[in-house]
Amino acid sequence: MKTQSFFIKHISLLFVLGTCLSCIKDTDFEQDDALILYPTVELNLVNAQEPAASFVDSSGTELPFISDQVVFDVFNSGFSIDNLIKAELVFGITNSINKAFQIKVDFYDNADALQHTFSIDIDNSPSNTPLFTEHIEVFENMSLTALKSTHKLNITFTLISTPTSSVLTSGSEGSILFASKGVFYLKISS
Amino acid sequence: MKWLFFLGVFLSLHAQNKQLLYGFNEVPQQLLLNPGGQVDFRGYVGIPLLSHIHLNAGITGFSAFDIFADDGRDFNQKLREVAYSMDSKDFVGFNQQLDVFSAGFSVNTSLEKKLFISFGMYQESDIFSYFPKDYAVLANEGNYNNLNRRFDFGQLSVSAEVLSVFHVGLNKKINSKWTLGIRGKVYSSIVQLSSTKNQGSFITVPTANNNLNHIFDLDMSLQTSGISFLSEPEVNDELGILKKRLLFGGNLGVGIDLGFTHQPAPEWTIDASLQDIGFINYSKDVKNYILDKYLAYDGIQAVFPEITSGLTAQDYWNEVSSDFDNLVEIDSTTISYTKWRPLKLNSSVSYNFGRKINKECNCLDKSDPTFQNRVGAHLFAMNRPNHLQWALTLFYFRKFYKNLQIKTTYTVDAFSFSNVGLGMSAALGPLQFYIMADNLLEYQNLAKSQSVSLQLGFNYIF
Repeated sequence: MKTQSFFIKHISLLFVLGTCLSCIKDTDFEQDDALILYPTVELNLVNAQEPAASFVDSSGTELPFISDQVVFDVFNSGFSIDNLIKAELVFGITNSINKAFQIKVDFYDNADALQHTFSIDIDNSPSNTPLFTEHIEVFENMSLTALKSTHKLNITFTLISTPTSSVLTSGSEGSILFASKGVFYLKISS
Repeated sequence: MKWLFFLGVFLSLHAQNKQLLYGFNEVPQQLLLNPGGQVDFRGYVGIPLLSHIHLNAGITGFSAFDIFADDGRDFNQKLREVAYSMDSKDFVGFNQQLDVFSAGFSVNTSLEKKLFISFGMYQESDIFSYFPKDYAVLANEGNYNNLNRRFDFGQLSVSAEVLSVFHVGLNKKINSKWTLGIRGKVYSSIVQLSSTKNQGSFITVPTANNNLNHIFDLDMSLQTSGISFLSEPEVNDELGILKKRLLFGGNLGVGIDLGFTHQPAPEWTIDASLQDIGFINYSKDVKNYILDKYLAYDGIQAVFPEITSGLTAQDYWNEVSSDFDNLVEIDSTTISYTKWRPLKLNSSVSYNFGRKINKECNCLDKSDPTFQNRVGAHLFAMNRPNHLQWALTLFYFRKFYKNLQIKTTYTVDAFSFSNVGLGMSAALGPLQFYIMADNLLEYQNLAKSQSVSLQLGFNYIF
């Protein structure tokens, strides 16, 4: 009986020790406080498609420019201010009008102060074949700060006369297609 | 954050397989696994709160070591590698049980045809989640470089529950070959939440002219009970409410366990059981959340006021903005719901050998005349929301003395192919102590382990 309880005691001890002394080795749970994610989000932005006739007023006269603006608090949202580390605005313009354009994009802050601007030159298409122009505006450092204070976007299409272009009438052919998307590089840390 | 992750790795562990306890006839708590198990004692009383402590945790796809290894590599890089090596069939699970009280006694003293009644109450927690891989990829990469990839939001499948269970079991030895058992259960669910029937996706499709079309198709739901009272300002006795729920005050359900042991010959034992054939009806403190939305977004249309007097880009943006707000607006209901308990199957076949026979006749001999060794195979299966979880075990059971038994197991399951377990029951007089743990090979470094299971308890046997 004595050997029995001796045996039991030792086996039990072995078990308890085995369970308690099991260890976690070669690990470092202090490695990093933060989980950091770097997703890149691509999002469609502003689109437009206008036939040549759109650039002619009711009296048949060619307009000097057309423009539209949009107020949106996406670039200056708290999420974007905290997490956006780089942005690219990608513009794709397909022009089949025999008229050159300058497309100007202006970025205004809350106080209507201009923070950033750039323009894209579009060639005229004498034979009305679609001509594709791509422009990528990269926002880093200073320009990124400007983007993060943007409250309002203004897009202006200015008609440019060149030696090969024609004056637009209500019968002019072709159209201009404007597509834009944003590629947003984020750094999200917990 | 890292501790949350650590908890996720270690505590959000695995299944409810108790391969060491199953068929361990000397330990009364084996009757909770098979009400038709063999009973080798006249009665028992579990030491309150200490008669059965069970922890079982497991994870597939990786171990804590893969992430926290002290190898000088970037933590986030390791995390990414782990996430990408896993798929949506990988899961984490955690199960814990605590016997509050338990006891049992035989009503007929004749060993041959006794009826054994056992009863008690235990508390159980269960957490289970699949790895939502597409969510991880989307969070890590975004949709850029993933055009035309359908992110499956249906991969989110998670359930958690804390409940108490009152049970009464009958175990009847019909003859020398058959023992049958049944256990009735009343469940009282304290807290439950599940989000297991999700569907939906997010895809970005490139269209003509360098454009993108973003399509959100969401059909998600989360059912909860027992949680929403916490957010009510007038409630200030949370602990009191939880205590009440522990004692039949929660959402109630009923269920049964069935089991048998068959000995076609003294050397052979075949047994099987079905646990938790039952359901719980959730009607108190219910809050269900539903997100059933569709949105296709292909940009803001600029319409130049010089040309058309209609919607301006601003109007479009306002519309888009409200569409997005609407997309993430979650509806809620308080409709009651019923859920089946996760059904568990245990079955084993074993061969007994090495009977201890004293050649000399000695009426005072108290040595054990039963078989001293048993080898066998044991199958465990359990239904999880999206799959059947299984484990196959080979075991060897050995009686060293009448009051010391040891069982060792080798288990193959979704977690590993190298799971060796050891269980022991020892009695000092009427006081029995048992402890069982598996994945012993990993104990030299728990961080490398993908599953850990531990059961221990004290009983007073008579």
